[in-house]
Amino acid sequence: MSTSSVYPTPINTFKQSKRSVLSVIVDNEPGILARIVGLFSGRGYNIEALNVTVVDIKNNLSRITIETLGEEKVIEQIIAQLEKLVPVHSATNLANLKESYEAEICLVKIEFENDDQDHKILSFADIYRTRTVQKRQNLVVYEISGTSERINKFLDDLNTISGIKVEKVRSGPIGLGI
Amino acid sequence: MSNDQELTGAEIVLEALKDQEVDTIFGYPGGAVLPIYDALFGQNFLKHVLVRQEGGAVHAAEGYARSSGKVGVLLVTSGPGVTNVVTGLTDALMDSIPLVCFSGQVPSHLIGTDAFQECDTTGITRPCTKHNYLVKDVNKLPEIIHEAFEIARSGRPGPVLIDIPKDVQFAKSVYKKKSEVTFKSHRIKSGSKNIDRDFIENLINHIKKSHKPIFYVGGGCLNSGPSASHELMKLVQLTNIPITTTLHGLGCYPAEDKNSLGMLGMHGTYEANLSMNQCDLMVNIGARFDDRVTGRLDAFSPDSIKFHFDIDKSSINKNVKVDYHTNTDITISLKAINEYIESNQVEFDTNQYSTWWSQINEWRDKNCLHYEQIDETIKPQHAISRLYELTNQKDTFVTTEVGQHQMWAAQYYKFAKPNRWITSGGLGTMGFGMPAAIGAQMANPDALVIDIAGEASFLMNIQEIATAVQYKLPIKIFILNNEYMGMVRQWQELLHGSRYSESYVDALPDFKKLAESFNAVGVRAKKLSELDDAINEMVSVDRPVIADIWVDKKENCFPMIPSGAAHSEMLLSKYDKENPENQEKGKVLV
Repeated sequence: MSTSSVYPTPINTFKQSKRSVLSVIVDNEPGILARIVGLFSGRGYNIEALNVTVVDIKNNLSRITIETLGEEKVIEQIIAQLEKLVPVHSATNLANLKESYEAEICLVKIEFENDDQDHKILSFADIYRTRTVQKRQNLVVYEISGTSERINKFLDDLNTISGIKVEKVRSGPIGLGI
Repeated sequence: MSNDQELTGAEIVLEALKDQEVDTIFGYPGGAVLPIYDALFGQNFLKHVLVRQEGGAVHAAEGYARSSGKVGVLLVTSGPGVTNVVTGLTDALMDSIPLVCFSGQVPSHLIGTDAFQECDTTGITRPCTKHNYLVKDVNKLPEIIHEAFEIARSGRPGPVLIDIPKDVQFAKSVYKKKSEVTFKSHRIKSGSKNIDRDFIENLINHIKKSHKPIFYVGGGCLNSGPSASHELMKLVQLTNIPITTTLHGLGCYPAEDKNSLGMLGMHGTYEANLSMNQCDLMVNIGARFDDRVTGRLDAFSPDSIKFHFDIDKSSINKNVKVDYHTNTDITISLKAINEYIESNQVEFDTNQYSTWWSQINEWRDKNCLHYEQIDETIKPQHAISRLYELTNQKDTFVTTEVGQHQMWAAQYYKFAKPNRWITSGGLGTMGFGMPAAIGAQMANPDALVIDIAGEASFLMNIQEIATAVQYKLPIKIFILNNEYMGMVRQWQELLHGSRYSESYVDALPDFKKLAESFNAVGVRAKKLSELDDAINEMVSVDRPVIADIWVDKKENCFPMIPSGAAHSEMLLSKYDKENPENQEKGKVLV
């Protein structure tokens, strides 16, 4: 944060920002997502990706994974603010754990026109070991999972093929500490 | 009552209030809460105070809570009823005041249809409450109410709202007592009760090493309960360390004591701010490094080791990085420190801080709160000084509105006990003081309750005089009338080239006649020679009084640290010139 003013200036905040993945365990009750999203927008924090699912039906718990950008001090403050919310059991920055694993899933629909494009697509699909969900003439749907970085790379590689049309959907990262 | 007897939702609300030992509730009826009002009818354990606008109910509940240490409770209807309390809920959240607000909602089957007086209450109040509920099932109502009270008063206190659709108020269920409810600890977040040994040992070692220590105490000390003040007093006397308090910390430590440096911050004393700037050890007890206190952050107490007591983890390292912190309740921590000192026979060298004290006394000699009462025009500072002199023998509670009068009250009214000072600090809500005085008087029927007001703030909730008159609450509204929004005028003078844009309060009513029209008492002092008589008359009448005190229109509030300036750059009087570079930077801040 800038120290020349009473308030942080946005320019400096972005300069030292880094990506963090937060894992939040919450009571699955009405309004909990709104509380979390409202906290981020109200305090000016970023949400890059968000994933919410019930993980424990018996104890009525959901796990929320949030990818956010911010300098370390801001991330600490986000965690402290999250933990103040009544339905929140815990909020963890996965980067602070000794060991944690991340994964994301992405569905990609690719429309192509000729064999040359098809070959190139196939070769990338092979390198990245994607799963074929659907294949028709001039259209293929792949599923790829792994770290967000790996998916980014696959999508970047697809971008090098000219003349194809790519549509994708991503789950956002999920993560687990050990 | 037998355990399986079914009650309506409305009756459950009343039963739960009784169980929670609530004796007073502030509210205003309307369509969506009529079943609860029906249940209120004819019972006698609960006093209902009918306000004139819901905004008054929430500030009254805040005044009640602050002055009694209990949870303030209010009851309002759906739609406009609840949107009117949004300001007060935000105020209570900022200032950590425990409230439970019950609001009516349209019947469940009409929710989402834009029904008459429907609004998304939980959506609107989510960011301005500690927690809120929409009750969809009457069977859950008893537990929700008990949990709401527990959340409101636990950890860092705050407001909680319970929205109850009208059909749920009619629906029947079995009541569940408070003693039958088990709370989930992750939801209550009551803060640690464990003594933090390392923190305590580190603190004592640093106190022994330090040459320039200071205690910086805030509202958290107050919220921890009166025994926190008691332990604090003991610790200060054992160590002979100077102590300064924030706006909300006033009263935690007797202002007239020799170790007290008064309030710090934007309008704090010269000695308090310079001590904060130059100390080598800062012990923050229940304060949150607010921007009104720190001034420019990079120049805030650059050379000190900082200890921070705060039950709210998010307050640690939020604005200022500290070296040691604890989240344990302040009373528990202070008690443990005093016991440690006693049982380990820790000796403090009383001469250790003598150079520090002589430096502080030099700063004190500047007499930064000096003002000149020259002619017959009443100086606002003098009005408050006289008010203090003439009322300090009584058990007096002071509330305020927001602005110059608030800062003068903080500077010149010397509080000796906690919970006697009720003001809107974090949010700075004009119109807070009079309804808050109503709440404080309800909680303390025999005390003298004074709202130190400005004429502009007072006009924001003026309708509540009728409430004071109806319930025979002899609150005193002491208006420092300068015909301006004084603090706005002061900033315009200092930062905007004396262009007084829209800060003159034109077309003021005759406050004396206004009082009389409400069946209250009006008194007035136009000049110095009338001041004491006006105050004495105001205090002696056993009815609500509006005292219209005409004060110097041009007076500004000093000392002042302009926004964006450092503690060491404070202005002591109108003759001090501000650094022009700071002025430009300060202009964009608040």
